Amino acid sequence: MRTIVPLADAREDAVFGSKAVGLGEAVRGGLPLPPGVALAGSIVEEVASGEEEAIRMVAESVSDLPVPLAVRSSAVDEDGAKASFAGQHLTLLNIRTPEEVGEAVREIWWSANSDSAITYRQRVGLFARPSVGVVVQSLLDPTVAGVMFTQNPVNGADERVIEASWGLGEAVVAAQVIPDLFRIARSGEILERTPGLKKIAIRSLPEGGTYEEQVPAELREALCVSDEELGRLHALATRCEEVYGPARDIEWAIASGELYLLQCRAVTRTGG
Amino acid sequence: MPGAPVEVIQQVPLFAELGEEDIARVARLFKKREFIPGETVTKEGSGGAAFFLIESGQAEVSVNGRPRPPLKAGDHFGEIALIDGAERSATITATTDLVCYGLTFWDFQPLVQGDAAIAWGLLQSLVGRLRAAEGEPQ
Repeated sequence: MRTIVPLADAREDAVFGSKAVGLGEAVRGGLPLPPGVALAGSIVEEVASGEEEAIRMVAESVSDLPVPLAVRSSAVDEDGAKASFAGQHLTLLNIRTPEEVGEAVREIWWSANSDSAITYRQRVGLFARPSVGVVVQSLLDPTVAGVMFTQNPVNGADERVIEASWGLGEAVVAAQVIPDLFRIARSGEILERTPGLKKIAIRSLPEGGTYEEQVPAELREALCVSDEELGRLHALATRCEEVYGPARDIEWAIASGELYLLQCRAVTRTGG
Repeated sequence: MPGAPVEVIQQVPLFAELGEEDIARVARLFKKREFIPGETVTKEGSGGAAFFLIESGQAEVSVNGRPRPPLKAGDHFGEIALIDGAERSATITATTDLVCYGLTFWDFQPLVQGDAAIAWGLLQSLVGRLRAAEGEPQ
C-alpha cells in the first residue's frame, strides 16, 4: 500500500482520513486546489515515532511543492456527519522547508492523542485508538479568504452564506475578526453585503509561523470581496455541490486573483 | 533511533521490574513531544491519554489551584493514566521549553495484553508501590 500519495490519489477514508479524501475528490472533480500530498495514518505513526526512513520519505515527497507549506490533520473519523472534530486537531501554517514537515507531522500526531482530544472522543463515545492522516499543501498568501456554506446553516434557506476577511482564513475560522457577510440566492442574485469589522489580518512570517497584521483603517469596514468574486464563489459552491452533494461547508481563498478551494466538508449542524 | 533512550526508561519505577529486552520494547513505544513556555501539558479533571517523562526543561504543577513542587528533567507523570485512563489529578504547565517522551494508553495496552512477562513485571512494580504507600515493609 502506498502511504504517501498526491491528493488526487487519496481515496480511502480509513487510510488517509476524510479531509484528505475530500480534497482528493475535489482534485478529481476539477476544483481549484493548492498542490499537495496525503500521508496515510501508518506513516504519520512512523514519523511520530522518530523512524528516520519515514521522515526522509515525507521530506522527499513534499520537496516539489512550492513553499511555504500548510500541514493539516486528517483524522480517520474527523469531520464526520455525526460529530464534528473541528478544533480537536491541528493545522500548522507556514512550514518553510520540507525538512520541517516531519516535526509538524509529529505535532499533529500528538494533537490527535492529546488529553483534550481523548476527552472529546470519550464524550462522543469513541473509544478506539485515534488514527490520523496528514495533508501537506502549499500555503497561499491570500489577499482575502473565508468560509462559505452552500446552504444557510442557521435557517436552512437555499442560499450561499459567505464570511470573508483580509489575509489568511484563520482570522475568520478562529473568530478573530467580525467578517464581512454575504448571501447569494441559488439564482446568483446577491441578497446581502454586510461589512464587518476587520481590525487584523493573519499573514505568514518569512521565518515560519504567522502574525497578526493591523488592517489599515480605511479597509476595516470596507467590503473585501467584489461582486465579480462573489460570482466566482457562487460558481465554486455550485461545482462543490455537484462533486460532493448538497449542504457543504467550504473554506476558500483568493490569491493573485485566483480563487482556491481549501476545504469542503458536510455541514455538521443545521438549525431549524 | 526511534523511541526513548532505554537508560531513561529504566529509571521509571513502573518499569523497574522489567528485563532488558522488555524495557527496550517499551522504550521504542515512546514518542517525543515538545511544549512551549506557558503551554498546558495536563489539565486537572481532563481525561488522561499519556504518560510523560521529562528530558529537558521545567514545568509548574498545581492541584485545586494550589502550587506543588515543580517538575524538571528526569521527572515523570501520568503513569496511572496508562492503566486506567482516569482523569488528570493535577494541572501541569511548561515554564520553559519542555521536551518530553510520551507513551499513550493506546500504545501501551496492546503490549501489556500481549505479553504476560511485561504484565507480571508491572504488577510487581505496582504492588511494591502500594505497599510503600501503605507503609508496609516490602
